[in-house]
Amino acid sequence: MAGEDEKGKGKARAAGGGPPKLDRRDLLMGLSTVPALGLFGYAWNKQRQYQQARAEAATAPPVAPADLQEINVALIGAGAQGQVLTEAMLRIPGLRFRAVCDIWTEYNQKRVVNTLKRFKHEVNGYEDYREMLDKEKAIDAVMIATPDFWHAQHTIDCLKAGKHVYCEKEMSNTLEGARSMVLAARDTGKLLQIGHQRRSNPRYIHCYEKLLTEAKLLGRIVTVYGQWNRGVTPDLGAPDRYVIPETRLTQYGFKDMHQFRNWRWYKGKGGGPIVDLGSHQIDIYSWFLGANPSHVMASGGQLYYDPKTHEWYDTVMVVYDYDTPLGPAKAYYQTQTTNGSQGYFENFMGDQGTLLISESEVNNAGSLYRDPNAPAWDEWIQKGYVSAPQLQEVKEKSDTGAIADVRESVAPDRHTVPVALRDPYHQPHLQNFFDTVRGKAKLNCPPEVAYETAVAVLKVNEAIEAGFRLSFKAEDFKI
Amino acid sequence: MRDGGPDVEGGLGIAGPRELGDVRRFSHEAMATSFEVYAVHPDERYAAQAAQAAFELTDRLERELSRFVPNSDITRVNHLVAGEGARVGPSTMECLVIARHLFDLTGGAFDPSIGTGLASLELDADDFMVRATIDGVQIDLGAIGKGYAVDLMAELLEEWGLQHALVHGGFSSVLALEPPPGRDGWPLTLSDPGAPSRVLARLSVCQTALGASGVRKGDHIVDPRTGEPARGRKAAWVALPRPARAGAEASAEGPRMAAAAVTDALTTAMMLLSIEEIAALCERSPGLEAWVLPESVGGPPGEADLIYFGGRL
Repeated sequence: MAGEDEKGKGKARAAGGGPPKLDRRDLLMGLSTVPALGLFGYAWNKQRQYQQARAEAATAPPVAPADLQEINVALIGAGAQGQVLTEAMLRIPGLRFRAVCDIWTEYNQKRVVNTLKRFKHEVNGYEDYREMLDKEKAIDAVMIATPDFWHAQHTIDCLKAGKHVYCEKEMSNTLEGARSMVLAARDTGKLLQIGHQRRSNPRYIHCYEKLLTEAKLLGRIVTVYGQWNRGVTPDLGAPDRYVIPETRLTQYGFKDMHQFRNWRWYKGKGGGPIVDLGSHQIDIYSWFLGANPSHVMASGGQLYYDPKTHEWYDTVMVVYDYDTPLGPAKAYYQTQTTNGSQGYFENFMGDQGTLLISESEVNNAGSLYRDPNAPAWDEWIQKGYVSAPQLQEVKEKSDTGAIADVRESVAPDRHTVPVALRDPYHQPHLQNFFDTVRGKAKLNCPPEVAYETAVAVLKVNEAIEAGFRLSFKAEDFKI
Repeated sequence: MRDGGPDVEGGLGIAGPRELGDVRRFSHEAMATSFEVYAVHPDERYAAQAAQAAFELTDRLERELSRFVPNSDITRVNHLVAGEGARVGPSTMECLVIARHLFDLTGGAFDPSIGTGLASLELDADDFMVRATIDGVQIDLGAIGKGYAVDLMAELLEEWGLQHALVHGGFSSVLALEPPPGRDGWPLTLSDPGAPSRVLARLSVCQTALGASGVRKGDHIVDPRTGEPARGRKAAWVALPRPARAGAEASAEGPRMAAAAVTDALTTAMMLLSIEEIAALCERSPGLEAWVLPESVGGPPGEADLIYFGGRL
């Protein structure tokens, strides 16, 4: 067992040959240089299974095998997010695109239709989703990536037309909208998955199921902080030859092309950065803490951009209170749009350890730190739940056979999350949705779960306006 | 959106930006370098939005093409074992098809797999599938991806109506579109990478891609055909006119004629190919031009003469 009698074994064992007995130094020296963790356990197998499934999916012939029921899909909303979903779906076997709907027929609709045709999907383009639902009877599932203020109507109409729906977050720009979506899903019995895609990310699932729930590596989480920072960018524009006629914009609820392109900043259309960005991560706060917030206080402002075209807050700082099963906790979150330093991440801090994770592995590879007084993690390292610690000092002094020189000031051991996501970020969440359509899985983000997050997130803008701490009641999160 | 300054980097620069009074300039970091758009347009805000759209395209391409991004297409390809396949996006497939073509054209002097077996990857462009027939092929599109991004950025700027523009990625990959009004071309310089103030050539170009590759003193590049360090070249530049059918989408007939991607890749090859091979390649490729700066032998450093290949002289 690792951890016992740690000193001076390396050389003797190496010289003696025979079956290697694993000691802590081997773990430190060996495993940290073998990212595959080939010796033991869970993570390796998990990663391998995941990669095999991926490889099988990738090598599957373009025509779905007989036992794979082909799903006819349509997309409503072919903007940036619709294109991200399309790219990910093109890598999932067994899907047949039938239709693409977008009111920007001259540009985004055309672009996505052309891409799909290159992949041999014979799709029809529509401006009006109702016409699409009328004509495309074969559609089984609809992907909705329209502006937030359209989500409820698009989702409900599709559900009532008998389609399963994958709808982007934020579920809706209003709680009434979100609530009506939950009820429509219940009434129709159709599936509704909301696009909080981290819920299906194998790295996040590993952290939740293995590191926090089973191994309890963080002990009791008392504080959390996270951020999504972005640098200054100009407002979104459009090529002037492809501007949408005003009558069409008005018909679909936009006062002009600027609002159509920048709806996220407008009240009554989107919710500003706290909803666009914060929602993803505040969703993880509740998931990992096992509780919805009890209180929220927030400060925000229109500090930088033209308030006439940026009606929502460009800078938001929030503090939530939680009553978790293990005790009270507080969580901080910030989003600002004037400096992208350190990008986005979530940092969970327990009395026994810390987990720093980001959806973007480039941004942050996922780090774990053990409190020096916490029980050793050797068991979890051996099981492959966490990587062996990365200890630069040990490597440099490897020929001494010592773990470290006692006089050294040693940085805390940094462990990493040994599960990688190789697919586009949204692919596992989409796969989970289609697997559920086929009756082979359970939704990772059903509308009831997304509703809880919408309650927590939409309240931030309310708290900023109020200027004081607001409280949640348990029944606020229930429908 | 920075102010002007010395614009010479990596042996290829824009001469006299101060003379280009009406030209707006926008910068963005991506692919470990700085991308810039120079454009002439009366509306500053509109030009900035167009540039931003072009930069977002570059970021998207980096997410698909970079081997340093854990869930990029290229990372997935780099993890394939023999018999496995991965579906990739249209941009990745097109970039790989162009790379494969240039690998063949240069006899492997341009090799984004650096000797690990590019030819052992099957590129099924109809189904956007990349299949590995051996283990361990490692693709690095660093020597072509910037150029490919520059090509697509230029198409996007034209779509926005910014015809009078120049786009570059780290000055090693430049694409000049229509010149600023009243000029016959965008002024570019070729300079000695060891002594950037030593301007070797001044060009005025439009609808042309220009690529540069060079080594600073003491550096070398490895010849993927032999695994040995290559010597004897300080820098190489390649120019290729943009095809008339600019903006033409890739089609069933093949990938788009991505002039900047091609020049980007060819400069790497020109650092390795013999003088005779370069001459032959330019001979049979109408419009292709190349400049090579040999390592000076004997004589004072930095004094070797530029060798020109192509039809201009």
